[in-house]
Amino acid sequence: MKKDLLALGFIILAIALILSGTKFQTVDEYYLTHIDDITADSKTVTISIRCETIRDNWNNLVPELQSDEFVPQDGVILPETTYVLREGDTAFDIIDRAVRYNKIQMEYQGANLNSYGSVYIQGIHYLYEFSCGPLSGWMYRVNGVFPNYGCSKYELKNGDKIEWVYTCDLGRDVGCVWMGGEWNGQ
Amino acid sequence: MRLFSSYHPGVLLVYFIGVIGISMFTMNPLLLAVSLLGALGFAVQLENRKAVAMSFTFYIPMFFLIAITNPLFSHNGVTPLFFLNDQPITLEAILYGAAIGGMIISVMYWCRCYNLIMTSDKFIYLFGKAIPKLSLVISMAIRFVPLFIKQIKHINTVQKTMGIYATKGVADRILSGFRIFSAMITWSLENAVDTAASMRARGYGLPGRTNFSLFRFTLKDGILLSILAFLFSIVLIGSSLGVLDYSFYPRMSSIQISPVSVIAYAALVILLFIPFVVEVEENRKWNYYILKI
Repeated sequence: MKKDLLALGFIILAIALILSGTKFQTVDEYYLTHIDDITADSKTVTISIRCETIRDNWNNLVPELQSDEFVPQDGVILPETTYVLREGDTAFDIIDRAVRYNKIQMEYQGANLNSYGSVYIQGIHYLYEFSCGPLSGWMYRVNGVFPNYGCSKYELKNGDKIEWVYTCDLGRDVGCVWMGGEWNGQ
Repeated sequence: MRLFSSYHPGVLLVYFIGVIGISMFTMNPLLLAVSLLGALGFAVQLENRKAVAMSFTFYIPMFFLIAITNPLFSHNGVTPLFFLNDQPITLEAILYGAAIGGMIISVMYWCRCYNLIMTSDKFIYLFGKAIPKLSLVISMAIRFVPLFIKQIKHINTVQKTMGIYATKGVADRILSGFRIFSAMITWSLENAVDTAASMRARGYGLPGRTNFSLFRFTLKDGILLSILAFLFSIVLIGSSLGVLDYSFYPRMSSIQISPVSVIAYAALVILLFIPFVVEVEENRKWNYYILKI
């Protein structure tokens, strides 16, 4: 009997530990994001999310996503919008705030879950990595340059222009050369 | 007498491979439900009702465990219910988990039935000549689980007789379970070696060795095999046309209703309920003749 109580205590402790590290939010709470008003002296960045490359590779797209609802006609999921840059914001903080404000679905792998120590964006607006062929997924560029590291490590500065683009060809179809230049499909 | 088990082993193997394959490679909830019902109906006919009811105590918690686990890892889907650590728990992911759980349970029930119908002598009869080593290993592996359970009961009884009781609560029972399990590991390794050595001593797998078997391919097997071939080809054509397709992400698709899909579903229902109907019909006849006496 004593052993039973001890085991029960350990189980309750384990459940309490798991629950204490878990954050529950209702849908409304999650999307209730505060976006700062732009004033004359605030630092700002612009962000856009686009997936027009999928339209060129329509046959590779998984059948259940082949509709205008998930892939907009012009490929624009979020048109270029300006948001206030808070102190110490990374590229991930901006997209997280932007998709929440606009109620766009996003799934990401947290920074502590992969070996790069940075957040990895798996899918935006139901379009996931590998949804459009084995070389497809989301990439980001800042001021036209693709940084070769994770978005939660890229600290932004005033006036940066962030673009999230969906590639169907490991970045080559959106103008990224650091990987596509040497790698030729073998 | 189980009528379904009196068919030729080859026909039975074709049936089970086909049915388990269909259940494993589909995510269509309608199809999974029919498959689960077919397997359950068959299992009720083969085993007594009590054994099937007992199996629920294992399968129902497993079903819920799978259904709850999937939404923790998969966040796709258009209907978020709430957010857990900034990731949505969606209705689609929960239902997908439920479908996976149903699929695994229906496959397990089909395997239970397979185990009761396809005894190892039938399996060895089919493959003993062509792939002797592999067929022996497979038949031993399939035999392993029921043998393991039987031996666990055996060792448990022996331990009780020796006076090693486990009656001081749940933790004690779990620890004594570990003790029995460790004894089982040794025993099962030894048993496997013994079986292999014994089969070798009998000259199993040597060229020119003959063996006796009671299985003969008769007209009734031919009829069943042609019916199965016909139904399987309808299902294959249907699934290659995509009428049986179903997807959960990002939005659950609706089940297609068209003349072709209705034919494919009808073929599937007949296919999955053949053993149930065969057994029920046999039982009906049996009772009728008993009444006549």
